Amino acid sequence: MQTKIGTKKYVITFIITAIVFFGAIFTSNYFSGQRIEELKLIENKISLDILSSETQFALLKDSSCKAIDHGTAFSEELTNLSQKLEYMEETLGTKDADVISLKKYYSLLEIKDYLLVGQVNEKCGIKPITIIYFYSNQGDCNDCKKEGYVLTKLREEYPDLRIYSFDYNLDLSAVKTMKSIYQIKSSLPALVIGGEPYYGFKNVGDVENLSPQLKKLREARDKALLEQQSATTTGTQATKQ
Amino acid sequence: MIPTILTSILYVFLFVTLYLQVFFIITFFEEREGLALAPKKTKLSYYPSTTIIIPCWNEEKTVGATIRSVLNLNYPKNKLNIVVVDDGSTDKTAEVAESFTKNPQITLIKKENGGKDTALNTAIATIKTELIGCLDADSFVDKDALTEIARAFNGDPLLMAATPMLIIHEPKTIIQKMQKTEYHLGAFLKRMLSSSDGLNVTPGPLSIFRKEVFEKIGLYKKAHNVEDMEFALRMQANHMRIRNIHTAHVYTSGPKTLYRLYKQRLRWTYGTMKNTIDYRFMIFKREYGVLGMITLPLSFVGVFIFLYNFGFMLFRIGHTAFDKITQISVVGPSLTLPTFDSFFFNTNVMAILWYVFLFISLAFIWHGVKLAEGRFRPSMSIVYFIVLYMLIAPLWITRTIFNLAFSQSTTWR
Repeated sequence: MQTKIGTKKYVITFIITAIVFFGAIFTSNYFSGQRIEELKLIENKISLDILSSETQFALLKDSSCKAIDHGTAFSEELTNLSQKLEYMEETLGTKDADVISLKKYYSLLEIKDYLLVGQVNEKCGIKPITIIYFYSNQGDCNDCKKEGYVLTKLREEYPDLRIYSFDYNLDLSAVKTMKSIYQIKSSLPALVIGGEPYYGFKNVGDVENLSPQLKKLREARDKALLEQQSATTTGTQATKQ
Repeated sequence: MIPTILTSILYVFLFVTLYLQVFFIITFFEEREGLALAPKKTKLSYYPSTTIIIPCWNEEKTVGATIRSVLNLNYPKNKLNIVVVDDGSTDKTAEVAESFTKNPQITLIKKENGGKDTALNTAIATIKTELIGCLDADSFVDKDALTEIARAFNGDPLLMAATPMLIIHEPKTIIQKMQKTEYHLGAFLKRMLSSSDGLNVTPGPLSIFRKEVFEKIGLYKKAHNVEDMEFALRMQANHMRIRNIHTAHVYTSGPKTLYRLYKQRLRWTYGTMKNTIDYRFMIFKREYGVLGMITLPLSFVGVFIFLYNFGFMLFRIGHTAFDKITQISVVGPSLTLPTFDSFFFNTNVMAILWYVFLFISLAFIWHGVKLAEGRFRPSMSIVYFIVLYMLIAPLWITRTIFNLAFSQSTTWR
């Protein structure tokens, strides 16, 4: 005779399965919430830093421009934040309310930083090395992902380069104003280099050629590399002799 | 819309998979007191007369060792007979078997090739002992295996068939090592299914039956080349008790190469699905216990669940690989080492469920190894199983579905 398993066992199994299954959903949501909180903290910190730099700038208007601490470390924080935001966007989706809110705040911080960098550099008499990048992740921009890789690579190679990326479709008046200032059309990806908008995919070489400062930096870097190589060759020959 | 539907189907499948795992966990806690690890080693008050049939077809390399392992069983010689059936071998199988026939325990039957079922049936028709066993000619019995099985028959008059714990014999290749862990996991799951009448196979490497089983439900059938599964299903359909005796160890040779494994598994998976279809009247019938409620539905749907999950995983891996290739083609390979940031640790629902599945599967493997070897020993076999199985099983599963759809049967070798 077959051993009949009571309904109880099947029901208990179902209840435990449901608990574990919904526990997984709860755990996932919990971690997502934690990440959102972490991003908010980072954004608040960046906001505070910008405010501090702005205040410092106002206080030291007549002093040396070098005294204003708003350098590459700050830019790295923004890049780091942007990577984390991108991850959250992939995980929770582009339509998630928290993600959109964080993106809006992030875009505002970028604009504030962009303005501050402009002011600081103007005071110091140097032209800022900045790229403004407009992208879309609504499936209507095939080259945006590729352009993202190019900009990440440039950011790694040139620590002084500041890249400000904006979601073209973000419903935020400040971003819309940026779009109207540079008269950005919807054919994305779009890069603003030296105040001029450029459309379509641009590789690393293209971007370097479009930016005179980046070109200079590249030439300086290549020259230094050549000198280093010739010094090594001379050293090796001397050792052989 | 379509991605949402596909993801929802995946979640339903993941829920079903989790349900099964939880079912096995609950069964484990119900059964854990009966999971003695070693044979009892005590003599029996009664040794039922037993005949073990060894059907062979071109098994010259292993049949000698198989016969010797049966002769070495700790079982009274006057109670144990061996019938070797040479099913029309074209190699020296008959010669090897004949060299043992001076032993009065051994009988050799030679017949024209007709398939394993005919070989077994030819022998069964001549046997008069209380118990009849079948042992594949590439398997070797532990010396206490038959005593353990006889003990189970002595202790349970309603027991009609007993199956052993199968262990891969001396795994050498990576494919065999992968099977070693697969068998450990299978041994644990079979033991869990056993007590609630959930077994759907009386495997070729030593299954022992009371003689009356054949008298009541007839002999073996071809059954899509998995006669051992059909016979178990026929027994279950007739409410005959089958139990897995995990202290009876039998070592079987696993296929050495991927191609041979593919052929074997294609036969098993196709046969399982075809027999499940043949015995579909038992599905979701409470009177057939766990077999009807879990084993049979899983035997059929499991194939699709596995393939669907694999397809989803493949899509994700493909997507990531495509992104990486695009990145390399655009900016070249990155020379910077990736840094670990816990922020990017995957904690989406699907990932968490996969962590849970992996943890539970490892716990099952742990107990499977303990049942087979007495204690847990970590080995590379576990790694091979986890990494490789998910990648190669779709080969025979996909082909099975193709064969089912186009009614193409399988061959033995």
